[in-house]
Amino acid sequence: MAFDIDRYTATSVAVDWSDLDLEAFRREPLPGSSLRTLRYMADVEYHTVCYTRDLLTTPSHRESDVSAFMTMWNREEFWHGEALAAVLAVHGVSIDYDELKASRLKLGWKDRLDPIKQSVLGGLVGQDFVAVHMSWGAANEWSAITAYQRMAELEEHPVLAELLRRIAKQEARHVAFYTSQARERLAASTKAQKVTRFALSRFWAPVGSSIMAPEEVRHVMGHLMSGEEGRRAARKVDDSISGMPGLAGLTIVQDALDRLGVAS
Amino acid sequence: MDDLSGAGSTPTIGVEPAPFDVRDFARTAHGSHREGLDLEAIPDAALTREAVRTILTLAELEGATMAHLRNVLVTATHKDARVTAFLVSWAYEKYWVADALRAVAGAAAPVGATRANDASRPAVAAAPVRARGRGPIRRALAGFAQGSDVIGAHLALGCVDDLVLDLAYARLAGDVPTADGTPDPALGDAIRRIRAIKARHSAFFHEEATRRLETSPRAARLARRELSRAAWPLGAASVSDEDRRSFARFALGGDPGSASALERGIRSLAGIDERTAARVTGRLAG
Ligand SMILES: [Fe+2]
Ligand SMILES: [Fe+2]
Repeated sequence: MAFDIDRYTATSVAVDWSDLDLEAFRREPLPGSSLRTLRYMADVEYHTVCYTRDLLTTPSHRESDVSAFMTMWNREEFWHGEALAAVLAVHGVSIDYDELKASRLKLGWKDRLDPIKQSVLGGLVGQDFVAVHMSWGAANEWSAITAYQRMAELEEHPVLAELLRRIAKQEARHVAFYTSQARERLAASTKAQKVTRFALSRFWAPVGSSIMAPEEVRHVMGHLMSGEEGRRAARKVDDSISGMPGLAGLTIVQDALDRLGVAS
Repeated sequence: MDDLSGAGSTPTIGVEPAPFDVRDFARTAHGSHREGLDLEAIPDAALTREAVRTILTLAELEGATMAHLRNVLVTATHKDARVTAFLVSWAYEKYWVADALRAVAGAAAPVGATRANDASRPAVAAAPVRARGRGPIRRALAGFAQGSDVIGAHLALGCVDDLVLDLAYARLAGDVPTADGTPDPALGDAIRRIRAIKARHSAFFHEEATRRLETSPRAARLARRELSRAAWPLGAASVSDEDRRSFARFALGGDPGSASALERGIRSLAGIDERTAARVTGRLAG
């Protein structure tokens, strides 16, 4: 289904939690391991804007859709960060900009798309990089929805569940954009399919892997994606990804969990 | 509020204002202006062709934020979470500024004028990725070497770009460009709204750039270099060369003192000398 970009930009809003009773977390605080996961999620959300560097602008009308989307998307993700930070703040965990900066300085940034982009700029892959970028985005957004849903299920905290539901609802629109872009580009080019297949199976890792410490990635994936339920959720994401043109059989999320040693 | 970004106004230094509140800016970022604009009240043919063309070019320039973000975020600038937080809402507000400009241009276009870009969004980035300036990879390498001092240079670029664009807004706000020479209140109101939005951006860029350039001679040196090298205005890569030149003629062609006012504004940044300011106006006019 075509994605209506004008409708999306006109209705894009910062996620609202002003009506939610965050004081409930003082009475029923989240356990430390959940706060650690939330902290990871907040960092990843705040970091989203940095992925604007993956954008390739080329002279076509579709690229203006991509720019319009990224503008709104960056802002929605920023507010996801702010919303999660508000929950953390009630627990005495503060994330201010200086702290985010310190963690960005400490960790550096191993961007997994970089090697692919280098070859794009060397003229090896060309336009097909955009198909990779869009498919990559789709995989990340599906993962984000799944992570928030898993978190809500595991915690069974009504206020948290409602906040995560609102965030996940916005992630679903992100999925819709990325998949419509990716499908169209993949369907149009077998070369795009091949490059995307290669890039995803070779380089994809759970969202945040390139900016967070490995032990944090393992903690979050173990927390949210272990056990039978976790695997089922991972399989669902893989099914969605492998349902895109030319990507049949990909199991990148389950593979990533195996690599991290997450118990199934 | 829009006095802050007046063409020749040199932002006040010396008085210690409250530091720019990025969280408050994010909370109060302005989305679509469609409801606030009185498009009906702008008569057809209210503007000269030249003014309409300038407004459409301004829309392209204001809307070219993602290309700019791509270039600055491959450098150490991406690590500064306060700056990236600002840029998120900055891009959002500029998206809607561009939208408002296209709406105004559509309403005020001279009868029979070809409305080159009457789509609701920017039509095309006219130039290929690396046609102007350095591409992302070279920037990444250069950015790595320059470290955090490059952030000050990027903020100075943002500040000066606002000064450049404001020359055009200032002229549009006056009565010069209307077809019959009388000011149009609805149009004036639209431009005022846009300048008010941009005044906050300018305030952030100026404050942050000043703080960095004052404390780091290396940041000031980088800023001088980046300012001298950049294509002006910053979004020039997304408009045709003809439109860029026409924009510059309009921006500099109102008040005869506009070029020197612009240079004064540029020199109000710490560590930015006369020569650098002259390079900017030279490249803009060239
Ligand atoms: Fe998000
Ligand atoms: Fe998302």
